[in-house]
Amino acid sequence: MMRGIWDRETVAVLLLAALLPVGVTWLLAGGTDALLRLVFFLVVAGAWHVVWMLARAQPPSLAGIVTALALAMLAPQDLGLVALLLSTSFGVVIAELAFGGWGRNVLNPATVTLAFMGFGYPAAPWPDLPVQLWWAAIPAALLGAILGVMSARLLLGAALTLIAASLLGADLSDALPAITITLVLLVADPVASASTALGRWLNGVLYGAFITLSVENWHDAAPVQLCVSAALLTSLAAPLLDEAALLLWLQRRKRRHG
Amino acid sequence: MGNLWARGLSVPVLPAPREAEIAERITEEAALTAELSDDLRIDPLVAEGAMVAQGAPLFRLHRQPEIVVTAPMAARVARLDLAPGRRLRDITLFREKGEGRHRHALPGDLRATLLASGLWTAFRSRPFGRHPAPGEIPAAIFVMAADTRPGAPDPRLALAGRAEAFARGMAALATLTERLILCQSPGDPLVDPSDRLTVLTLPGLHPHGLPGMQIHRHFPARPEARTWDIAAEEVAALGTLLETGHLPETRLVTVTGTALREGATFRCQPWADLRALSRGLVRPGPHRHVSGSVLDGREARWLRPRDRQVSVMPPASRDDDRHWFLSALRGARRPLPLIPTAALEQALGGDIPTMPLLRALSTGDAEAAIRLGALSLLPEDLTLADYVTCSEPRLSRLLAGLLARIEAEEAA
Repeated sequence: MMRGIWDRETVAVLLLAALLPVGVTWLLAGGTDALLRLVFFLVVAGAWHVVWMLARAQPPSLAGIVTALALAMLAPQDLGLVALLLSTSFGVVIAELAFGGWGRNVLNPATVTLAFMGFGYPAAPWPDLPVQLWWAAIPAALLGAILGVMSARLLLGAALTLIAASLLGADLSDALPAITITLVLLVADPVASASTALGRWLNGVLYGAFITLSVENWHDAAPVQLCVSAALLTSLAAPLLDEAALLLWLQRRKRRHG
Repeated sequence: MGNLWARGLSVPVLPAPREAEIAERITEEAALTAELSDDLRIDPLVAEGAMVAQGAPLFRLHRQPEIVVTAPMAARVARLDLAPGRRLRDITLFREKGEGRHRHALPGDLRATLLASGLWTAFRSRPFGRHPAPGEIPAAIFVMAADTRPGAPDPRLALAGRAEAFARGMAALATLTERLILCQSPGDPLVDPSDRLTVLTLPGLHPHGLPGMQIHRHFPARPEARTWDIAAEEVAALGTLLETGHLPETRLVTVTGTALREGATFRCQPWADLRALSRGLVRPGPHRHVSGSVLDGREARWLRPRDRQVSVMPPASRDDDRHWFLSALRGARRPLPLIPTAALEQALGGDIPTMPLLRALSTGDAEAAIRLGALSLLPEDLTLADYVTCSEPRLSRLLAGLLARIEAEEAA
């Protein structure tokens, strides 16, 4: 009878609100250049959303802004206009819109775009994130968990794994801004991450483990590059983690109720 | 939405029902209506215009003639409207105080007493949520002495002063089944647990006070091991019936909703007139009456047999004169997908794997839904998820469709 307000767009707005600390910090650090980059990605992603609305009657989503923010922050520097257009279009269209829009996608469109850029233009230098960003990621993660749009289990799982790894001797300090920003922007995306309780813990732990492995063994990679690769691998494994968690749940239930 | 690890949600409904003073309000008219799609075929036991005492038999079900439905008040049968095939459209009663109360003969057999007194239909049998067949043996009975729906009456209030009748009713129910489970709100135990009787204390947040959540968690229903649930007040009614032969005249009902100046709690008869119940409480302006809570109720003129609350709400707003471009920005023919959030997880109590279940429902995957326990659930159990997500088509309707399909396959 009575209807609530937590439809897809409300969740997108809350996700944006949670990411606001990160976005503002980054804009303050980057100045006009950063703002222009953000506007460019907003225009490209927005244009594709409108095209799909007109051609396929698929309502656009404010989550496109999250994608644009992630791309503006993490995309390699000095890519030509054509390369940027091509890879952004590939990510937004193939990874999100072709599946039916935000909520039906399997992978985060920003993750796919960044992976595409990494594979397609390996010579382009990855950006260095300012160090204050990882402080901004903490309120973002807290807000996301409190508003319920990011999984607290996933964030905690990742944090605990990374803390454990650094206690055991892994040196994460150089990559810290990239690790935390990738975590809140790409990995904690509610759609592209695991959706069961246990699956989310595993999802966070897996991200932490991939990061630790890459930091230890992939020495010539830029911090953003190895974080994006870890995010991509984690997203790909998310359905598997869900399936495993579900099997365990079913087995436990079978044991209890016969 | 605030708490990270809390389970369940609180849905505010203003104004709250006042429980300090409980007036008795027996409405002058009472009726039972049925949709043609309900296919409720009956054999009337009274004619139009006949006088009936409170609790006297009104009709039998045509397909299950053992099951009798009785009059909620002393009345004259004002209208008995049957569609072709003896399908009930509605039966309306006008109150006649002088007719007194019908005293049921107690044959000693509990099942026969329940069937003949009309209390049988207070049970609900899962899977599928119909009243049980006359010969059905339940694997477990859940007695619900907790109700977390927004604005629902406190079952402890309904049982106040009737502890003895409730205990007698529970003792009688224990002879029907191996497992009797009492679900109660936090506080003193209402009865003492024994080897057949388990007492569960539920957290106070919705949806934990729905029987479906408890059945899913503690005793999943299967077609070959059916689980019944019944409201605690009906168990007390059974206790009273077994002692005196009379059915209680009233039940505890709250009146809440956003179109009211103030909420209220009444003792009224079943099938009561919702307009008469809300008289003097409604704000000026258009409004609609809902039998049931704001989440799972249905627009109605009369209190439906299992409902214990009335919601009065402003009419649904219509905004279909927007420009096509603005409408296209907001939604399309194809519904918007669900985003897994903490709110959605809490809306199913936190134990059920929410997204796998909802995905199985929206793709119509009966096998996966059954594996995840959909047979223990009824559409009312998903109404909180509907409220939270504003999802279209409604999840509760998807579940209703899926259950109907499974039932048809089961019967074939």
